[in-house]
Amino acid sequence: MKPLRMRASKSLLFVTLALMASTALAAPKKGAPPPSKGTPSKGKGGSTPAPAGGSGAAGGEVEMDGGDSGAKPKAGGGAGSGAGGGSAGGGEIEMDDEQNKAPTDLAADLAASDAQQAAAAKQGPTVKTPLSWKDIVVVIRKPFLKVRRTELNPFVGTSMNDNMVRSYSMGGELAYYLTDVLAIGIEGNYYQHVFNEPFDLVARQARRLPTVNQYNWSGALDFHYVPVYGKFAVLDHRLITWEAFFVAGIGAGQSEVIPRDTKFPGFTNFLIQPNVGAGMRFFLAKWVTLNFGIRDYVFYDHFEPVDRSTTMNASAADAAAHADGALINNIMFQIGVSFWLPTSFEYTTFR
Amino acid sequence: MRTYQTLLASLVVLSVAGTAHEAAAERRQNSLAKDVAVRHRKLLVKNRFEIAPLFESTINADFRHVVGGGIKLEYHISDKLSIGVIGVASASLNTGLVDKIVPTLETSTNNATREPSQTEFLDHLNSMPFHGAAYLSLTPWYGKLAAFSQAYVAFDFYFQAGVAFAQLKSDCPPTVCTDKTPGQSTMSGMDTIPPDDNPNNDAPLNDGSRLGLYLGGGIHVFLNDFLALDLTVRDYAFSDNPSGVDYNADRFVSQDDSRFLHHLFFGAGLSVMLPTKVKRTQ
Repeated sequence: MKPLRMRASKSLLFVTLALMASTALAAPKKGAPPPSKGTPSKGKGGSTPAPAGGSGAAGGEVEMDGGDSGAKPKAGGGAGSGAGGGSAGGGEIEMDDEQNKAPTDLAADLAASDAQQAAAAKQGPTVKTPLSWKDIVVVIRKPFLKVRRTELNPFVGTSMNDNMVRSYSMGGELAYYLTDVLAIGIEGNYYQHVFNEPFDLVARQARRLPTVNQYNWSGALDFHYVPVYGKFAVLDHRLITWEAFFVAGIGAGQSEVIPRDTKFPGFTNFLIQPNVGAGMRFFLAKWVTLNFGIRDYVFYDHFEPVDRSTTMNASAADAAAHADGALINNIMFQIGVSFWLPTSFEYTTFR
Repeated sequence: MRTYQTLLASLVVLSVAGTAHEAAAERRQNSLAKDVAVRHRKLLVKNRFEIAPLFESTINADFRHVVGGGIKLEYHISDKLSIGVIGVASASLNTGLVDKIVPTLETSTNNATREPSQTEFLDHLNSMPFHGAAYLSLTPWYGKLAAFSQAYVAFDFYFQAGVAFAQLKSDCPPTVCTDKTPGQSTMSGMDTIPPDDNPNNDAPLNDGSRLGLYLGGGIHVFLNDFLALDLTVRDYAFSDNPSGVDYNADRFVSQDDSRFLHHLFFGAGLSVMLPTKVKRTQ
């Protein structure tokens, strides 16, 4: 019987130790009541966790929510998870503890500061530091910096304001950011086109063959300015940062007459193309963004003359010489993904 | 007895180890992972009634621009969901395409050429004196922006879907639309007169009421707690034949020439949110 009792005692001791360990490890799961604002939580005997230290600090975790960790520096000591000076000495920040907050009275704060300075003056050389609420930065830093980075932006686009022909473009832009809001870049576009419904309808219904041009290519030197940045929450959970930008530039391009009658050759036009535009950029990572934008390419284009026959404007040169001109606004919607080089960046100021 | 106790002790150890593992795993999770993105956020739309006088214009219309003013009434059931109606009274303006075509057309009808006269072409075009929609709106994105590092304003993006309605109008007088039986043979005494195969003198059949699909997307830019700039792109899609003449090449105008078309509009309005005071989230 005796050996048996001994074994039973050992088992009980083992179970007791295991239960203690379980209680200690499981304490955060239960969670203490959420911290009451402005009042330190009151200990409830052994159930109230002691100031964290043991497990939390040892694990190297930073528990932002006191409610989950149950850590309360001012809470009464408890058996729980091992007390210690972890909380106080571990540098935890009590976000909601009103009593831990610095004085909100600026005069009192300044007085305290003066007292500190006076004490310091007795001990050594005086260093006067102006103190003001204006010195406190309350706007979080930008999550994405562009200064001295290069943006490589391949994009596709579609025309928005031509009833007859829809132009699709594939292009790219290379921009270098001189500052975080100013950049200079070059862009290039290659175009393809399809005819819209009215092109066919006008021919069949009004018995008129539309005179249209297609665009072949374009290029431009652009300047970018970013006046607006912001952030938004998607479905109340995920935050996405974005910015709006303006673009203006000057460039060149080529359009080509689509002959109404294929017996006659078309001709090309060299175009001087200033452009203006605006867009939005969504930051997906430190090195990649998603871009949307609208660009208005303005130019004076030349179209096939109305009168064209074997005896009049038959050749491309004659037709070009007698071409009708018009000022065109080619508004394109563009969407692209930008890749940023270098792929990362460093902040030059403290948070 | 020994076996029983050993088994019991082993079960307890396993149970404890499992519990400890769960607890440790749960503690490793970021406690903010399931939290809302923004606390103490102003509920700029929740449980508020929105009244927005607005201006609206077609985007890239083929034959006639529709330009008008109206009002949007919307109730925001929650922070993300709302229901509303919109109604717009409009005037119609000829597009540049029409202005280019019309001067080249014949001034008087000539059936031999099979081309419409200026009057026939213009009288077949329809206009849209009134249109609107009833819709459900979802606002999944909200945020704030800084403009020129000076102006900090709240905004949200919304998407709408619902039922579109439109009142279309065309006015082709009997002196222009003279064919009473388009596409049909007629009897004149003992003679059968075949169809004239001229759609230009047929009635346009592009007026009346239409129901269709409404889709929209836009942005509120809040100027203060109860005023917001409301910018929207709206698509009223319904059956229409804007030119009012033969589309399917059967040489006469019928209802078959109508097809499901998208009518894209850009709208700008000023939203007034009622009540004017806002609440905040926890």
